[in-house]
Amino acid sequence: MTKYWIVFKKSLKSELAYRSAALWGILSAALGFLIQVFLWQALLGSGVRKDTSFPDMLLYVLINSFMLQLTRTDVAGIIENAMIDGTISMELLRPISYKGYMLAQTLGKNVYGSLTATLPVLGLSLFFLSGAVLPDGVHILLFLLSALLGIALMFEVTYLAGLLAFWLQRCWFIWFYLRGIRDIFGGTFVPIWFYPEFLEKLSYWLPFRYMTFEPINIFLMKTPASQAWVSLLAAFLWLAGLSFADQMVWRAATRKLTVNGG
Amino acid sequence: MSFIEVKNLCKEYRIVRQEKGVAGAFKSLFHREYTVKEAVRNVSFSLEKGEVVGYIGPNGAGKSTTIKMLSGVLLPTGGVARVGGIIPYENRKENARRIGVVFGQRSQLYWDLPVSDTFDLYESLYSIPKERFRKNCDFFTELLDMKDFLHQPVRQLSLGQKMKANIAIALLHDPEVLYLDEPTIGLDVTSKKVLRDALKNINAERKTTIILTTHDMDDIEAVCQRLIMIDQGQKLFDGTLEDFRARYNDGFLVKLEFDGDIPVWQENGNYGLLEQDGHHWIIKARAEITAKEAMLDLIGKYDPTNLYVQEERIEDIVRRAYALDETV
Repeated sequence: MTKYWIVFKKSLKSELAYRSAALWGILSAALGFLIQVFLWQALLGSGVRKDTSFPDMLLYVLINSFMLQLTRTDVAGIIENAMIDGTISMELLRPISYKGYMLAQTLGKNVYGSLTATLPVLGLSLFFLSGAVLPDGVHILLFLLSALLGIALMFEVTYLAGLLAFWLQRCWFIWFYLRGIRDIFGGTFVPIWFYPEFLEKLSYWLPFRYMTFEPINIFLMKTPASQAWVSLLAAFLWLAGLSFADQMVWRAATRKLTVNGG
Repeated sequence: MSFIEVKNLCKEYRIVRQEKGVAGAFKSLFHREYTVKEAVRNVSFSLEKGEVVGYIGPNGAGKSTTIKMLSGVLLPTGGVARVGGIIPYENRKENARRIGVVFGQRSQLYWDLPVSDTFDLYESLYSIPKERFRKNCDFFTELLDMKDFLHQPVRQLSLGQKMKANIAIALLHDPEVLYLDEPTIGLDVTSKKVLRDALKNINAERKTTIILTTHDMDDIEAVCQRLIMIDQGQKLFDGTLEDFRARYNDGFLVKLEFDGDIPVWQENGNYGLLEQDGHHWIIKARAEITAKEAMLDLIGKYDPTNLYVQEERIEDIVRRAYALDETV
């Protein structure tokens, strides 16, 4: 475990080397947040639609953007680049699981960005947040658990897409489409509770809604504690299924691997 | 059983045939033709613990591919390789713990962090005991003269400094084998010397088995006892440096210097005149005659002021060996 911890730490430290990038990240996060705030303020007014008040929506945007930031750097892109320039052979020389290494590295890369980008946004949101109902301890615990599963699930899906680079060499477009599908079926822009019924039903059959939407539902106590297990179990099953799939794909991928020239 | 066993190792690649021009590129979107390239063909050799072997061959001969199969990165398409009793590409992680690898054209260092950070990473990755890690750090910092730049971000280091750091990193966990793929590429004469001395030292003190691929034959002469030559994926030679000379050597060089006018060259089956100017000749003597015979003969015939006998450089021998291979 210490292996992955140090990969995480060093990756985080590498990120700290560029301070100006972090500053600009803060600015863009703050702007993006403000746009969403004003958009939802205009849409919802001071009333309540479909059980959703403006403070609810604000919390939704806040948590959502933090979780998306945590998985911002996509593994798929990293694997693709490693395939193209051959650094993959260096990574495979280390006595460490490739997937674990990738997870630790991307988290390290993203944690700094999400913290620096989210803290100021959090400060901003205090101006708008009066009247928000905060969850009790049980819901917070359940939320943390489900958020953890959600982040793992986001990583898993991207990782699996990235492994396709072993066959396709270029796979950015796959992740590009996947991200679009995630935004629709995961409710990362518009919460799924505003969706027409058929889209909502469809979303249950895909892993995307368990990434950020379900955790946030628990946080907002729209999902009562007694029913949280359903989405937790679903997320867990998806995770287990995809992990199994990526092992199969990995095995085939290493057979396929070619690294030329030095 | 030998420490490293390679038996009938093969690696085939499928390469897309690119057609010329934009039209060709479009065409290849719908229909692709593949050619199979055999990067490594039926290569076999075995190595004992503590051997230092030079693995040479022209560009694209299959050297790096062999090294990558031995280090568990690539899967062979045929044959088998065993390193210390395990099959590297089937036990990648276990194998990785026991080997050190340096690819001269790639770096294992964190680009934005000082070298010492990558050292820390390797301490954890290989679970190196604290005491040994500290000792090894000191040892390699000293041996490779790295004190001055250990705490500078890697992006500010020179090529030679990075190479030294990469070699140190590959050795921190006391690997049983060290694979070096062109470790002296792009280095200046002084750095090359430091590296070669360090490699000799490491092999002598720690009994580390070393496989070294290089295009610089001086590397080979300086550190290797044994030479394996491959070309187009096939093994052409495997033996000691002396055997290599004996096999491909067809003579030695004699340099004659004259003070006054140079005499007239007389054609002779035993010698060939390679180079001449107003003051000297460089003559190639056939392997069948001894240096003593040649010296006496040439002094008697031409009466030079000075005479030097030179062994043919390994580099020239290798060049001829590659050329021979082309014509076969």
